[in-house]
Amino acid sequence: MLLAIDTSTGTSVAVVDRAGTRAERTSADTRGHAELIGGFISEVLAEAGVAPDGLEGVAVGMGPGPFTGLRVGIAAARAFALGIGRPVLPVVSHDAVAYGRSEAVLVVTDARRRELAWSRYAAPGADGLPVRLEGPSLVPVADLDVVTSVAGYVRVDAATIDAGLLGLLALARLDAGAQPGPSEPVYLRAPDVTLSTPKKVTP
Amino acid sequence: MIRLRAATPDDLDAIDALEQVTFPSDAWSREMLAAEIVGAHGYYLVAVDADAVVGYAGLLAPRGSGQADVQTIAVAEASRRGGIGAALLDALLAEARARAAEEVFLEVRADNPGAEALYASRGFERIAIRPAYYQPDGVDAVVMRTRNLQRALVLGIETSCDETGIGIVRGTELLANVIASSMDEHARYGGVVPEIAARAHLEALTPTIEEALRVAGVRLADLDAVAVTSGPGLAGALMVGVGAAKALAVATGKPFYAVNHLVGHVGADLLNHEPLVGEGELELPTIALLVSGGHTSLLLVRDLVSDVELLGETIDDAAGEAFDKVARLLGLPYPGGPEIDRAAAAGDPTAIRFPRGLTAPKDLERHRYDFSFSGLKTAVARHVEAAVAAGEPVPVADVAASFREAVVDVLLTKALAACRDLGVPRLLLGGGVVANRRLREAAVERCADAGVALRIPPLSLCTDNGAMIASLAAQLIAAGHPPSSLGVGADSTLPVTEIQA
Repeated sequence: MLLAIDTSTGTSVAVVDRAGTRAERTSADTRGHAELIGGFISEVLAEAGVAPDGLEGVAVGMGPGPFTGLRVGIAAARAFALGIGRPVLPVVSHDAVAYGRSEAVLVVTDARRRELAWSRYAAPGADGLPVRLEGPSLVPVADLDVVTSVAGYVRVDAATIDAGLLGLLALARLDAGAQPGPSEPVYLRAPDVTLSTPKKVTP
Repeated sequence: MIRLRAATPDDLDAIDALEQVTFPSDAWSREMLAAEIVGAHGYYLVAVDADAVVGYAGLLAPRGSGQADVQTIAVAEASRRGGIGAALLDALLAEARARAAEEVFLEVRADNPGAEALYASRGFERIAIRPAYYQPDGVDAVVMRTRNLQRALVLGIETSCDETGIGIVRGTELLANVIASSMDEHARYGGVVPEIAARAHLEALTPTIEEALRVAGVRLADLDAVAVTSGPGLAGALMVGVGAAKALAVATGKPFYAVNHLVGHVGADLLNHEPLVGEGELELPTIALLVSGGHTSLLLVRDLVSDVELLGETIDDAAGEAFDKVARLLGLPYPGGPEIDRAAAAGDPTAIRFPRGLTAPKDLERHRYDFSFSGLKTAVARHVEAAVAAGEPVPVADVAASFREAVVDVLLTKALAACRDLGVPRLLLGGGVVANRRLREAAVERCADAGVALRIPPLSLCTDNGAMIASLAAQLIAAGHPPSSLGVGADSTLPVTEIQA
């Protein structure tokens, strides 16, 4: 059984086991991650009737997504995992959208600043696990047709990432002995800093 | 009018009668009660209404044992629901604290959820069930315990700026103060870049928590609470700490305390340490001057956990920020404080009379205790530009010394004015700018002249750190403040009056 957290878009928290999603809370609000995360974790544990030390680990969406919210979920997942002495199971958030689709898909999420984040997936193999071919990458909204013009992929625009699916994917990967996702956040952008030159103040 | 007083042998009849009525199936004998009332290790109280005993309660707490037991609490049927039981319990717990009990135990009948709820509200937790303990009824006993939270073991998380600080304290005892700083990553930008700081917090957070636990020699399971800075500070940076602290609290089943960063700076001074300046313990009320790269605030602290007032703060740049910006103007690296200090060593602090912000009579009317450093920074820029325009070398040493003197002068003038105006002859300095030697020296001199007792905690507790957050939370817990809601967020402008979010 896993706790699953994704804050790459809104805030989504779930408890999953091998039979499915036991409890889930999701808010599509693209702000308020820090406010919601604690109550959501506490509520899904209570609803699933599981104590923290009954969990095998903590699955977490590593992005891509707007940084400030994304970090809240990753920080919470790492701290929770530390608190129960179990591993963090990182997942590229787009993988959770592709998981469970039987066809080849193009996953698209908002990356703000007139850009979109996208990943391309082949149809899953016998194990049902998503096979990411390209991405996650950024593309300006105006240039999206460069990405969508590749034939054979069903476009899936995800407004929120479902922590239940993300957790089920992490569990399936764990059971299949598959590689874990990236251990660091998928920011896709360097910090936005410009070195300003001091302005003249003499009139 | 109900009042509580110590029980005496003269109360035995009344207590015995109440015992028989309240616990019909398993009352203590009159002899046992008589022995309990006068027992050396006991503490028995009666609640009296006019002259009638309407309730009694007893504690067993041998001094030096570190433990106490709530033996009994009984209130007459007609006097229930008036808070007498709670008042008796609180009085017993106060006595247990006075006898230095680390843990207080009690047993309650499993068929008395009202009593159990009262105990839970005072921090008692179920630790065991004794099956069929109450005979002849065959009712289970719920064994409960509360720890003496006068010395709560708290882990504090601080991520309001560029230091990931994790501290662990037991009451006022400092057990660990571990800091991971992203300062070097900001150096090339001449100031803290919020996104870089937030990324660094996320990277450093769990390793720093683990290091702090190792240094303190405690396990997460030992903690009494998890505390975090909820503001003021950089929003994106604060959110990393808040998200982590909530998750850690839920994962470990510990209470969550979200506290104010600025009040935390004052809380740092309660930790056992040799202050850099001052002696003995922090005395209240005190004026506190907190000066860092993000804050310049003057506080009146009457009570750390309940009464902190903001007297004034900067209306533009923080003092530390002014040091960084002036350092850039002078071609010196970041962080500016130590660089300006070094450059100023060879300079004349009286060479240039730079302006003291918000000290003109008309400004003092509205901004008596507020600060402004942006005009000072502009004056320095003009001075530098004038030298360059005239083809002269910039007198870096004199500019640095004169600038620093202007900052130090205005900080101390306003802080000491507050001490004088409010009749509070005590000043506490905190914040990273306290690392500035000239500020400390001038503070020592001018406080001595003004008859003000100055305190400066060690620098490791002046700069942003998690121990100060843990210390403030430990004080809140000792004062009986309930935990924060899990719904509180990061508040980049949290006012100092909100000591706990």
